[in-house]
Amino acid sequence: MRSSMDRPVVAGSAAVMTFTLVLALIVQAAPTRIPNGPDLMPLLPLMVLYIWAVRRPGFTAPWVIFLVGLATDFLTGGLLGVWALSFLVGFAFARPPVEEPATPGGELLPISLRFAALAGIVLVTAWAVGSLALGSWVSPAPLIADGVLSILLFPLLAFFFARRKERSTFS
Amino acid sequence: MAQRRSARRDEEGVRFSRTFLFLLIVISIILIVNDRPETRNPALAQSRAVVNDTLAPLLDLAAQPVRGMRNIGPWWRRQLELAQENRDLREEISELAAWRDVALTLRDRAQIYEQALNLSTPASRERISAWTVADRDGPFVRARLVDVGAEDGVRAGYPAVNVYGLVGRVVDSGQRSSRILLLNDLNSRIAVMSDRSNTRALLVGDNSEFPRLEYLGREPDMRVGDRIITSGDDNEMPRGLPVGEAVQDADGTWRVALFSRSAPVDLIWIWPFDPVVAPDEAPVIEPGPDEAELALTDEPVEPAASETTDSETVNGEEG
Repeated sequence: MRSSMDRPVVAGSAAVMTFTLVLALIVQAAPTRIPNGPDLMPLLPLMVLYIWAVRRPGFTAPWVIFLVGLATDFLTGGLLGVWALSFLVGFAFARPPVEEPATPGGELLPISLRFAALAGIVLVTAWAVGSLALGSWVSPAPLIADGVLSILLFPLLAFFFARRKERSTFS
Repeated sequence: MAQRRSARRDEEGVRFSRTFLFLLIVISIILIVNDRPETRNPALAQSRAVVNDTLAPLLDLAAQPVRGMRNIGPWWRRQLELAQENRDLREEISELAAWRDVALTLRDRAQIYEQALNLSTPASRERISAWTVADRDGPFVRARLVDVGAEDGVRAGYPAVNVYGLVGRVVDSGQRSSRILLLNDLNSRIAVMSDRSNTRALLVGDNSEFPRLEYLGREPDMRVGDRIITSGDDNEMPRGLPVGEAVQDADGTWRVALFSRSAPVDLIWIWPFDPVVAPDEAPVIEPGPDEAELALTDEPVEPAASETTDSETVNGEEG
């Protein structure tokens, strides 16, 4: 049971989570491409969502995952539902266990490996579903590039969040 | 494992319900089926436009620093670049001055011909400038979100160009934002032709940087380097918009190196274009036999719209 003293802390965490997710979605959609450079962007919403699933498992209910996926669909202009479905399938198979320590910095390697598994499932699902919906096999190269970048950058983001958690009262 | 976990409440008492998860997966599948290009639900397109309208100002705000950063670089290198650019522009201006004279002469001559032939050319309407506010290319879509919409006069189907050539066309138009489907998107189909030989083709996007030319015929009169322009045959684009240069890949497939790739798709212009309306969509209402008789008697003729339907009056034929 949650005490009444915990409520402001929980509300604060929820607000921070909403803010970080919205920020991740906007950064992912904003025109940040380098002219004549590669079009690479990590799956920021998925990374942030996973970090919050580790920190606050109760905050990442299926409807939250669905909404983040749907927002990604809206912002990227792709088929509605592809990322929503992929995120849901990914979390159905690779949700962080609840016995995971709440601090991502505590066990960075296992958390990063689990995130890599989640990203793999999400990307394979997105590729398969998107290709089926469009009626032709789309090139998986951009997805693979984005996936690899996400997996490489995830420990950095997780470490940053862990440091924030140590300093912050939101936990 | 997953079953055991899903049935358990986590530390904050919120259950990761498998039933709810399954329900949301089903909803996602329904969304995908209804949003496929060939079966796109208008309600979903409308909701997408509303979301884009809401988020466009935020995305524009996020894009501002990036636009500024593009101009940041070593100062001395920038000065050298500017000096070179200045020289190039001066040369270009002197060349363009000569072309301007030619263009003005041709314009005057075309006006005389049009008057002589009693031609009425479609008046060119003012183009609409727009900034890209979201440019994330996904594996399934090559599109840009721009910060102008129906309030600015943008409608679905209008072509979008940048300084160098055709970029794509508007597919979704909200009140204050629109989505441009790029030429290399999987769902993009544009009727084009070679400027040199008038050889017609269909420019088909395949998510690669060089869209394919299809339906060229058995022995097309096409050469590498041919300038490709819109043909207007599809009645979706005006004729003559510059698209790119014909190139051939290793397999011998004809493709197009897009002119618009010469610069980032950042500032673009949307050209209002109204396609030619088919005769059956705008039929000529000709007077029926009774009305013709009435007209001969010099009596004022009342409109007979209430008695005769559109289908009956097409070409003056009944039933």
